[in-house]
Amino acid sequence: MSGTTAMAALADQGPHAPAQNPRRQLKQPSRVARLARLSGRQLLCFVIAAFVFAAPLVYLFLQSFKTFTGFLQDPTGSPHPWTKQNFSDAWSVGDFGREMINSLIYAVIPVTITLTLGVFLAFPISRGWFRHSNVLYSFFIFSGFLPGGLIPLFIEARALHLYNSMPGYLLMVSLSGAGFFFFVGYIKGIPKEIDEAAALDGCGYIRFIFRIVIPQMKPALATFAIFGFVGSWNNLILPLVMLSDKSLWPVTRGLYSFFGENTQNWPLIAAGTFIVAAPILLLFILLQRFLVEGVAGGAAFGTQGVTKAAADQGDAE
Amino acid sequence: MSRCPFGTSRTRRFIPWASISIPGIGWLLFGLYPSLATIVYSFTQYSGLPGTPVNFCGFCNYTNGFTALWGELWPAIKTTLIYVAGVTILQNAIGLGLAMLMNRPGRSYTFYRALIFMPQIFSVAVVGTTFALILDPITGPAENAWHGIFHSTSAFLGDNTLALPLVMAVNIWMFSGYSMLIYIAGLRNIPKPVYEAAALDGAGKWRVFRHVTWPLLAPATTVNVFLTAMGTLGEYALILVLTGGNFGTKTLGLYMYDSAFGSNAQLGYGSMLAILQFGLTLVIGGGLLWALRRREIQL
Repeated sequence: MSGTTAMAALADQGPHAPAQNPRRQLKQPSRVARLARLSGRQLLCFVIAAFVFAAPLVYLFLQSFKTFTGFLQDPTGSPHPWTKQNFSDAWSVGDFGREMINSLIYAVIPVTITLTLGVFLAFPISRGWFRHSNVLYSFFIFSGFLPGGLIPLFIEARALHLYNSMPGYLLMVSLSGAGFFFFVGYIKGIPKEIDEAAALDGCGYIRFIFRIVIPQMKPALATFAIFGFVGSWNNLILPLVMLSDKSLWPVTRGLYSFFGENTQNWPLIAAGTFIVAAPILLLFILLQRFLVEGVAGGAAFGTQGVTKAAADQGDAE
Repeated sequence: MSRCPFGTSRTRRFIPWASISIPGIGWLLFGLYPSLATIVYSFTQYSGLPGTPVNFCGFCNYTNGFTALWGELWPAIKTTLIYVAGVTILQNAIGLGLAMLMNRPGRSYTFYRALIFMPQIFSVAVVGTTFALILDPITGPAENAWHGIFHSTSAFLGDNTLALPLVMAVNIWMFSGYSMLIYIAGLRNIPKPVYEAAALDGAGKWRVFRHVTWPLLAPATTVNVFLTAMGTLGEYALILVLTGGNFGTKTLGLYMYDSAFGSNAQLGYGSMLAILQFGLTLVIGGGLLWALRRREIQL
């Protein structure tokens, strides 16, 4: 199987080679040698991508089709009697159906609320409607450098009866502020004249935000929505700390326990793991280019901000 | 300062405040307050059991950590430093190597880059379970390979010397695609004429890399090293899934988690550890930024 994929990958390079001027080719060391080097690189890249980065997940996927006895007889080989039983077993034993719904709730609702409230927070600051908008903005950014507050958050959650409750968890995650201020720069790109025109026409503030500002911010909101969704879906620590009832767990928390409870029944664990990973894998396949580029761009952009802000701070002292 | 154009002359002044009120209060309650309260709780003796009092005790947690519990604290600090240094250096070296290899046009390379990037989109629960399967000392393929090479057995994640390097390797496996992408962005920012000039001067491949690519990649290196170090310092979820912090893999973050939410909960002591980690982050982050910026200027 790997051979054919490599061939297909090589075929990509095909059309470029003959387009060369034949006279120049004589000057090159040798066409064969060049092609060999080219395909050598292709092969190396393929081997790295497939056998180092993809193989562990493919291996996990294969294990999930084994019967338990089949696994014990030949733990590392390919499944001998193939079975789909593990998926339905894991689904019912691990209660992944309910957890999947929980995860979806924990991912979709906070992201929606965070993004909407984020716009409401960012807009007045970005427009400079406060006397010290810039100070406020820097303050928000630097609060991100403060110590992690997991322990006080836990104490607070218990005091406010938000501990071990779905609405409580949603409230904490929705309001804890991640991403609030990222929109400030983006909103500055929306011309101020629009505000004044809308206000003159008698458009109310809330309607203005929902009808004019949010549609204008679609690209930024989409990026944050996707990364927010993936981040919330994957979160393990906060559910571990805040949710003790099994019925409230998201899939990651469920998988963590499932893994502990079914030690050594690897086909079952593999099936459970695959179930948990599948929605994210699907999202990745659909939005692969967007995600890969988003991270590269976001990282480069984000740290520019961070390093610059930190450098400015250093200068100020 | 400009004025809000919305609302009537009476409501105009309040609209900006109303707009930021809900997210602002939420952030104060669940963002800023917990962060600052960590400092306060680090000076208390509070077990966290419901009904127990919060006793202020000055620096008791700090003195406790640096004297009686030094035998636990020092290994955690040491492990953190090894973990951060090892992952930062190796992940950057691997990310750079991958970037040099994969920075090519063509669909096949896009596909390879996507595959290399993929691991980090999964939860640590998924990645941890996957590697626990592969590194299973009885049934895992790693055991097969180990037996084939060394003709002996190993406990892998249950081995006191191997566990930490293995956890680091999984961490690097998960995130080197990220480093690769930042380096690729850096490589694409290097103007072509520089390479042409170097080629005209007859520079060989290694010299081009050493004297052209590497210095011009300095901004990407700064971002990458800083991000990797900061991300790794705070990381403990992956270690929790892989080893639970046993076999010499307990970093400061995991020690904090264990102290606060483990079987013998001590929230005050845990808060102190969070503050120590914060201090370590400040020192390492500040030091790195200073060194990396100086290096950028020198190059």
